[in-house]
Amino acid sequence: MPNLPAGIWSVSGFTFLWFVGIVVPLIGIVLFSFLQTKGIKVQWDLTIKAYEKLFFYGGGPLIGRTIRIAATMTVIELLLAFPFALWLAKGAKNQNLKLITFTLLTVPFFLSPVARVIVWRSVMSISGLVNTGLMDLGIVDEPVDWLIFSEFAVHLGYLGQYFPAMVWPIFLSIALIDDEYLEASKDLGASRLRTLFHVILPLSLPGIVAGVIFTFVPMLGDTVVPQQMGGGNVLMISHNVYTMIGASNFVMAAALSAIILAIMLAFQILLWAALRPVGGLNNVFASLKR
Amino acid sequence: MTALAERGRIDGAVARKPARSQLIGERWPTWGSVFIGYFVLAIIYFPILWLMILSISAEPLTGFPGDWTLRWYDDMLYGTGQREGEAYAVAGRVMEPLLLSLKIAAITAALCIVASLVVGPILPRVRFRGPMLLGFLMPLMVPGIVASVSLFLFYRLGLHLKMGEWSLGLAHFIWAFPFALLAMLVVSSRFDERLLDAAADLGASRWERFWQIQVPILKPGIFAAGFFGFLLSFNELPFSIFMRAGDITLPIYLWIQSGAHNSSVPLIFALSTLITIASIVLTFIAIRVAFGEPRAAKLKAKKA
Repeated sequence: MPNLPAGIWSVSGFTFLWFVGIVVPLIGIVLFSFLQTKGIKVQWDLTIKAYEKLFFYGGGPLIGRTIRIAATMTVIELLLAFPFALWLAKGAKNQNLKLITFTLLTVPFFLSPVARVIVWRSVMSISGLVNTGLMDLGIVDEPVDWLIFSEFAVHLGYLGQYFPAMVWPIFLSIALIDDEYLEASKDLGASRLRTLFHVILPLSLPGIVAGVIFTFVPMLGDTVVPQQMGGGNVLMISHNVYTMIGASNFVMAAALSAIILAIMLAFQILLWAALRPVGGLNNVFASLKR
Repeated sequence: MTALAERGRIDGAVARKPARSQLIGERWPTWGSVFIGYFVLAIIYFPILWLMILSISAEPLTGFPGDWTLRWYDDMLYGTGQREGEAYAVAGRVMEPLLLSLKIAAITAALCIVASLVVGPILPRVRFRGPMLLGFLMPLMVPGIVASVSLFLFYRLGLHLKMGEWSLGLAHFIWAFPFALLAMLVVSSRFDERLLDAAADLGASRWERFWQIQVPILKPGIFAAGFFGFLLSFNELPFSIFMRAGDITLPIYLWIQSGAHNSSVPLIFALSTLITIASIVLTFIAIRVAFGEPRAAKLKAKKA
């Protein structure tokens, strides 16, 4: 690349540093989970003690709960976001409305996650706005106590927090579908449902996969929503990792992280494999160019 | 997340063939899906709006607005330290985290711009672009807390380095760079290399080609990279939790304070409101700078 001041060597150098700086630590944590530590000194004997301890102290249900909540919400987000993204990409005609909607979907990415959920605590508390409203309207006789610091609350917190991350990739992939395909499908006599399932859905698969990754992954490691909305009643892995590191229990934190990493890896290999029929990863570049 | 940059393109595509897209448009509006979408948007924005309203209310912890007062802002900025015998943890200590966050956000933005300028133009043209992109996007595909712990264990226990502001900056860069790179790729993968060849034939030096051709054409990407770097770093929490010594960034500060069940929570409302307004203003400016100019120019062209 003689054309650029930043030549192929600086790119190679940066790529190398990037892999050492982030990819190696991610692989390292798996290795680390089989070691022991004394203070911050590492002892180089392989052992699975950390995993035994982890499951002995209730790691199984913890991981199960985290995955269950994240998976449930990912499915719900997908079901809510897909029709909306489809409408935004192919249905919405009013340019101003579209512009406003795009802005509304962009702004939340740049807001502090704490600022986005902290208010629910006051609104949903026993004497809060919602409960008072429900009692005044005579819908319930006594305050509903599962509105906050419960699994319901965690789900609600996730719903708003990750909706834009699901809408954007799906919207982009649907918007890139040529209108001619939809026309052709219609001209050939396909019903709207048939067009949806046989034209739009397969072509928007990359967006769906990206959306699922961008919501499921951060939900697993979310530090804010379980703390603010679960309030200690709904423990998820982030809380335990945090306490373990705080207690210098590095190996157990590593073991917990390694398990999550393994699940993520399996999940993503599955998803990327699902993408193969539509061109895999190199297709990303092709669609960027279009 | 390349959405910002993509949008201009999609609007353009729609504008090119209005008749056809309107025809299709009639086929896909279902009021249910529209309603659901805006309903979830309402769930996103209700807490943000309510936060602002409660921050100027006398009793914010009840969730009811009313008795408008600026007392919490006053306490936050010039807090006297004691009220009803309980010390405010917040009062007067906001400035330090704020300045640290601004500093690290600025550094992250600069790093993101430089790194995406180095990688962005070349990545679409190299052989192993698929695996390389996957490597660069790794932080997006691993939960923040897992990546954060891995980094901490690697640098602290593996390399025996002391955490500090450098590690905060590094962690924020690792988090923000994938977004910055994607934004840059949207622009750079459509960059016509022949422009550089032509310039070289006309006798432009390497740096002249860089400053006078690449930088102007890649400007939206550069801008987006800096914007992503700044705001993602400014509000970043999971990576900061472990990759710090005693440093307290603004999100860390909010996180610690909001976990505490004491009377400093109303001050958190006030502080969060200020940060939220600042972030929204910045985002609007960014959207305007990125897409406002060509739009305005288009309108002018239409009028003329």
